[in-house]
Parts: sequence; C-alpha cells; structure tokens
Amino acid sequence: MLQYLVILLDDTSTSYCHYGVNKKERRLISLDHLRQGIRFGMVENLMIQFVYPDYALPQEYLDVIDTIDHSNIKPMAVLDNDTDIVVLNSWDYDASKLKDAVVVLRTGWKQLNENHGMLKDLLAVVQRLNVVITDVERMTDSDREQYKTVLASLGKEVEQLYVDGKSPQFNLLTDRMMLTAMNNCNAGDTTITLAPNGKFYTCPAFYYEEESNSVGDLDSGLDIKNKQLYRLDHAPICRKCDAWQCRRCTWLNRKTTLEVNTPSHEQCVAAHLERNASRDLMLSLRSKGTFLPDKEEIKELTYLDPFEIATQWK
Amino acid sequence: MAKNITFIVTKDCQLACKYCYLVGKNEKEQMSWETAKAAIDYILSHEDEFREESVIWDFIGGEPFMEIDLIDKICDYLKTEMFRRNHHWFNSYRFSFSTNGINYHTPKVQEFIKKNISHLSIGITIDGTERKHDLNRIYKQSNPDGSEHGSYRDVVRNIPLWLEQFPGGATKVTISSPDIPYIKESVLHLYSLGIHEVNINCVFEDVWQEGDDKLFEDQLMQLADAIIDGGYYTDYACSFYSENIGKPLDPELENQNWCGAGKMLAVDAAGMFYPCTRFAGYSLREKKPLIIGNVRDGIDKNKLRPFLTLDRMTQSPDKCKTCEVASGCAWCQGENYDAAATSTVYQRATAICLMHKARVRANNYYWNKLYRKLELEGQREQYEKNKREVKPVDC
Ligand code: SF4
Ligand code: SF4
Ligand code: SF4
Repeated sequence: MLQYLVILLDDTSTSYCHYGVNKKERRLISLDHLRQGIRFGMVENLMIQFVYPDYALPQEYLDVIDTIDHSNIKPMAVLDNDTDIVVLNSWDYDASKLKDAVVVLRTGWKQLNENHGMLKDLLAVVQRLNVVITDVERMTDSDREQYKTVLASLGKEVEQLYVDGKSPQFNLLTDRMMLTAMNNCNAGDTTITLAPNGKFYTCPAFYYEEESNSVGDLDSGLDIKNKQLYRLDHAPICRKCDAWQCRRCTWLNRKTTLEVNTPSHEQCVAAHLERNASRDLMLSLRSKGTFLPDKEEIKELTYLDPFEIATQWK
Repeated sequence: MAKNITFIVTKDCQLACKYCYLVGKNEKEQMSWETAKAAIDYILSHEDEFREESVIWDFIGGEPFMEIDLIDKICDYLKTEMFRRNHHWFNSYRFSFSTNGINYHTPKVQEFIKKNISHLSIGITIDGTERKHDLNRIYKQSNPDGSEHGSYRDVVRNIPLWLEQFPGGATKVTISSPDIPYIKESVLHLYSLGIHEVNINCVFEDVWQEGDDKLFEDQLMQLADAIIDGGYYTDYACSFYSENIGKPLDPELENQNWCGAGKMLAVDAAGMFYPCTRFAGYSLREKKPLIIGNVRDGIDKNKLRPFLTLDRMTQSPDKCKTCEVASGCAWCQGENYDAAATSTVYQRATAICLMHKARVRANNYYWNKLYRKLELEGQREQYEKNKREVKPVDC
C-alpha cells in the first residue's frame, strides 16, 4: 500500500540514493503542480518528503510546502534547522555541523575505500548514517574482498561506540541487527515520486534515467502497470533472502537485469557482506554482555548471492 | 538435459507466409563466417558455463538451408573444435533444422545430410492439404498472372525422401484463427503422406476471433472421431491429445516455468546473444530486442537471472493461479514480453485461454471415447503398454 510521496522540488534536487542527477539546469516544479501534488498526498493519506536543490527556494514555495506536515531532504549546502535528512555528496564535510542529524552519505566505492576511516567521527555525532555506494553495481570480485575488510574495520569502530555508551544507527552494520523482516526501499509499492514535470515515477531514478517511463500524472492520477512486480512477494530471489537491510533497489535491478523485481549479483553480494558483518558485530557485542536479547541471532549462510537458492534450473 | 543453441543464420526466406511472426524478415542480414566462428569460440571456451550434458545446435532463419554453405562450414568447425578441445559435448550433440523443405533435395543440402545424418534432426513444415498449405505458405514472388504462388507442390515432392532419411520425421503445425476449419483434414492428410507424428499448437499471439474456441473444439472432436474410428491411434500421434492436460496445478510443487528461454541461447548475424530467438528484433512487434550479450563481450549473467528464476505463479494473473484446467496451458516468454504492459518477462499473456479450454474439452472427449472403445475391444492394457509418447510442443 502506498504510504509515502516524494516530491522533487527542482530538476537539480539532490539525489539521496543510488541514482545520479543528470539534469544540470535548474527547473523548479510549478507552484500549481506543487499544490496539486500536496493535495494528492493529502487525499491519498501519504507522508510527503520534499527533496531540495542546493539553492534557496522562493518564499512562495516555502509557504505552500508549509501547508502540510512533511519531512525535508536537503543537500549539505542548504542545511538548516528545518532539515530532516541531510545529504552529503562528497567527503568534504564538517562533522561538527551534523550533530544528531540523519545523514545520507553518497559515495563511490573507491572513495569509501579510501576515506572510511573518517566515518568514526561522523558516527560519533550523528543520530543515523546511511552510506549509499553509488556504483555498487560495478564493484568487482576484488572490490568485494576489500569491502569485507572495510566493513570489518567499521564494525570495530561501531562496537567501540556501543561500548562507550553511544548507539549510532548505521545502515551498513546496525540495521540488520535491529530488524525482524525485510525493510527495503519499496519504490513503486509504498513510495511514489512526483517529478518537476508533474508526472509520477516509481522513484526519482526513473525520472532521470527513463523519463518516458512515468506511472501517471497529476491530471489523470497514478497508473502503475504491473504494480505487483514492485512487491517483495513477486521478487523470486529477494523473497527467499534475509539480508533485511538491503535497499533492494528496483532501479538498479532494472538497469542491471532489465527487470525491476530481479537484483544483480553485485547488489546481492554487497548486501550479504553487510549482513554478515552485522552478524559478526552482533556476536561480538553479545560476547561482551546482554545485547538485544529479544532479537534472534543472524544465521551463518553458505552463499553470498541468494540466486543460488532461488534458481529454478540447477 | 540438453542445451539448445540457435544460430539465426539468415533473416531471408523464399516464402512470405501470411502468419509468419518474423515481422522484421529481410534479405540483408546473413550471418558472416567470422560472427559464427566468434560465437562458437566463445561458447566452447566457456565450458564451465555450459554444463548441460549435451547440446542441440539449432539453425533457423528465415529459411536456414538458403545458407547451406555457411551451415556446412559451421558444423565442420563445431565437430573439429569439440574434438580438439576434448569438450564434453563431443559425441553428445545434434544439429537441428526447421525448414520449409523447398531446397531439401538439392545436391548441397543432400550432401550435408549424408555427411551428418547420425547427428541430425530435420523438421519440414507442411500445413496440411494443398488448399490449406497454399492458403498461407506462398512464395514472395507471385505467379506471372499475378495470382499467389503456393509452395505445397515443391514441399510435398520432398516428403518421401525426407521420410526415407528420417523415418520418424515429425512435422509441426501452427494454428491461427483462419486455420481452424482445416485442422481435421490437415492432420489426416499429413498422416496420409506417411508422417506419423504431428505436433500442433495454437499461436500465442492475440489473434483469436469470437467463436473461434467453439469452432476449434468442434474440429478437435471431429478429428478425435476420425483418429479413433479410423484406428490411427495405434501408430500415429497428434500432440493435441494428451492425458496430462486440463488438470489444476499445485502452486508450489508445479510452479515451474513453461518455456525454456534463458536455458537456451540464440545468436544472430550481428553477433548478439538472446535468451531465445523470439527476443531478437525481427520477431518482436512492440518491444526492443532483449540482448543478453554478444560474441565479443560474452553473456551478461545478470540479464539471465530473471529467466533462471521465473516461475509460473509469479508471472501468472490470478485467473491462472486458480485455474482448474491449468496443466498444459502453455505460454511463450517472448510473446509474454512482447505483449506485456511494461518491459518485463514477468507478465503472462493469456490470449490462448479460451483455446486451451476448448482443447481440454475435446481432449476429455478423445480419451473417454478411446478408452471406452479399447475396453469394449479388450485392448486397453495392450494399448497402455505400447503407448506412443508425444513430447509437449513448447513453441
Ligand atoms: S529504487 Fe529505491 S533504492 Fe533504488 S534509487 Fe530509487 S529510491 Fe533508491
Ligand atoms: S541481497 Fe539481493 S536478494 Fe537479498 S534483498 Fe538484496 S537484492 Fe534482494
Ligand atoms: S490462460 Fe486460461 S486456461 Fe490457461 S491457465 Fe490461465 S485461466 Fe487457465
């Protein structure tokens, strides 16, 4: 069931996820579309998330936005008190400004590998950190070997923070420990995006990458064809999987396997390395005392890619 | 299980059959030797990715025998290379052809057949009686007086030679809406030509008119009467009638995909790989070709994942999930893709629904009638012992 409406306020609104923003010209959503979008959210009972560009919006926009309860996703350049999620698009940030913030850090794999040592300080101040590897689908076998090492070292840092009495939320390592079921992006199932052109997309990525693939517009309403394919029960590999923290990015799926319900090998392996690192972290914390007593242990697996257990033809 | 690897050697054909699904047929795209060789080199040098026990090297077109020189060279190279590499397919291979039969008797084709006969399967397409065959299977070039030039005579003269070389030769007949009234006479005609196995299926495309299912059922009942009353059931087979169709399917235990796309591999003149020929540009009406790699860069395994995890329930609409006659109701992944509302192979097309239901009713009639007759004649046990198994026709 739909629960969230993401509204991209401008063509250059920051990405907060795997996709890149390939539009360079500023183009604000029209006030009319903005009003209609908010109305749509209200009548459908959706929680609205606005995504901001890196410049200040005209006051009339802010006034319209204020007519509805909402949350704001903003790039670092316009961070203010009215920000719910702040997006860092580079490693050039000032951690002291991010106290208690919910932060998305978008990074290429190479940069993560080089700079992951910086995350310790960031994790110590933020309320939550989501690291998004923007080129996860291009990681090679040797990158993944290295990723394992990076996760292990980050695990040590998080463990120390817990020992010190802090409990940062960190998507790559702590989400899996806390969850009891799949918690994926769910674009097209629980979340829908309104783009500045007044059309709906299952996620912003489809607006930037396949603009003609809209799923309805403000005038005629939502029309998601083959909607079932965005649901977990129609994803033959994912429904057998317990990497509950995985984004299960339907756009990456589409890009790599041509099907929104089928993930690439690369996405699955990365998510399993995170899952397994969470397992190690959890075991390690438990060896130090009681930790999340009501949560089940994360099982040891023999595979890194659930395709191996989902395939029809062995 | 055998791997099926198809070379689309040409997109050209002497005929312009009216029902031909190859929307992009043309005279320009012939496979070059370099492309064929590159495909073979790729496939044979990735033995660990092709673990199937055996292989069927399939040649299709257009009309494959129009490229007999290339095919001969490909087959020679395949044999030499499988031997040289000590490949596990050496001695576990077949060459397979679907031909319109027109060039069957020509010296080059005959020479090729003699050279490869122990590893060869050839199917000739003949639709039925002359009237029926020439309704659809006509030459590109009309007669001098402008009338349509049917191909029946040029095909039928090669049938005796073909049956002599391939005594179990089976033929495949595809039924579309205008063919329904001719089903009975066509099958009986094929039997009379000495063809003992007739594989028939309805096209998967949405071509059916209102009332076609009734007509179809009626034809199949008439054919059932003719087969049973005429005693053909002992050593002739027709794939329409099968004891395994028309039953409900278990959602978990009988959840397999029907079609083999993704298990198969097709390569075209441009050196592109497809999950099956139906995903190549020339056979798609609405969608972009679904390319899974090419002879230079190899196969992108991510693009095979959807095919290798497809199951019946995930792609079926609700009516099929609970259908009481679901077994034997087929689909073609390529047609599913072509007809889908989005770019996906996960939306099953059900244009065939009423035709399948009609077939199930006629099929029930066939078996009830046949078994009653056999019982009355005290032949049932004997029949069941010697029953001819007909393979289900996929596509
Ligand atoms: S589909 Fe979801 S996870 Fe993927 S880019 Fe879009 S919002 Fe992010
Ligand atoms: S790891 Fe793979 S199978 Fe599991 S949820 Fe993520 S994308 Fe799906
Ligand atoms: S297409 Fe029709 S006959 Fe076939 S399984 Fe679905 S509901 Fe049954």
